[in-house]
Amino acid sequence: MDDPVVDSFPQDQDNDSKTIMVGSGVRLEGRIDGAQNADVAGTLSGTLKSSTINIDSTGNFSGDMSGNDITISGQVEGDISSENYLTVNQSATVKGTIEYASLQVSYGAKIQGTLRHRGSVHSYSPEPVEQPTENDQVSE
Amino acid sequence: MSIFGSNEKKAEENTTYFFNADKDTVNQSTLAKDIKIHGSVEAKDYIEFSGSITGTLKSSTVNLKPSSYVKGTVTGDTVTVEGEVDGDIQAKDVYIKSTAKIKGTIRYTNIDIQNGSIINADLFYSS
Repeated sequence: MDDPVVDSFPQDQDNDSKTIMVGSGVRLEGRIDGAQNADVAGTLSGTLKSSTINIDSTGNFSGDMSGNDITISGQVEGDISSENYLTVNQSATVKGTIEYASLQVSYGAKIQGTLRHRGSVHSYSPEPVEQPTENDQVSE
Repeated sequence: MSIFGSNEKKAEENTTYFFNADKDTVNQSTLAKDIKIHGSVEAKDYIEFSGSITGTLKSSTVNLKPSSYVKGTVTGDTVTVEGEVDGDIQAKDVYIKSTAKIKGTIRYTNIDIQNGSIINADLFYSS
């Protein structure tokens, strides 16, 4: 508290404000949009849009997710759309359609569904295309 | 320049070839880059394939090198893909390397995919 050597802290706070975390044991249903980071260790069903998505080994997701960099270690059922790196770890189980630019799957992961490669890598824009006025809004 | 050598190069007809089927030596079959096969190739232990095939490749271990092209089916216990496959891959262990291009169906128990590979396929997991 004495020394004000916290130069980098405001940046971290800025990132925190666009983070959604679903802790293990928590169940959440709905539509998440405009997030920068999403960390799911619990159960989430619905639609998830975030630049970075991480489904922990205890995490369970069903629905549609889209993002830039996505890492999956838990269970996912539905559609995954990644514009950059998609990493599927050994403990993961994925069912559904996967659209990816760059995919890495570790030995042991279970994938059931369709893989589709994007022709080129685009940068991810967090605002919804159909409603350009409602930036950074988390809807119910 | 041997007679056998020139005979082997004519392996381009619609026939099934059994490589090293009754040899005690290292059961490894290498099919070089400029080979084109229409038909099916079957080996006991190991095929290293760099050529192009329309048909079926079957062996315990199949290694598809970067220059390889397969239109058809690849079956084995362990299949490693570094080249292009248009068709079905069926193996217990499937390794897809960064240079691979795959279109079709992959049936597997264990799969390992490297960054950079281009896969447009249906994946079926079975234990």
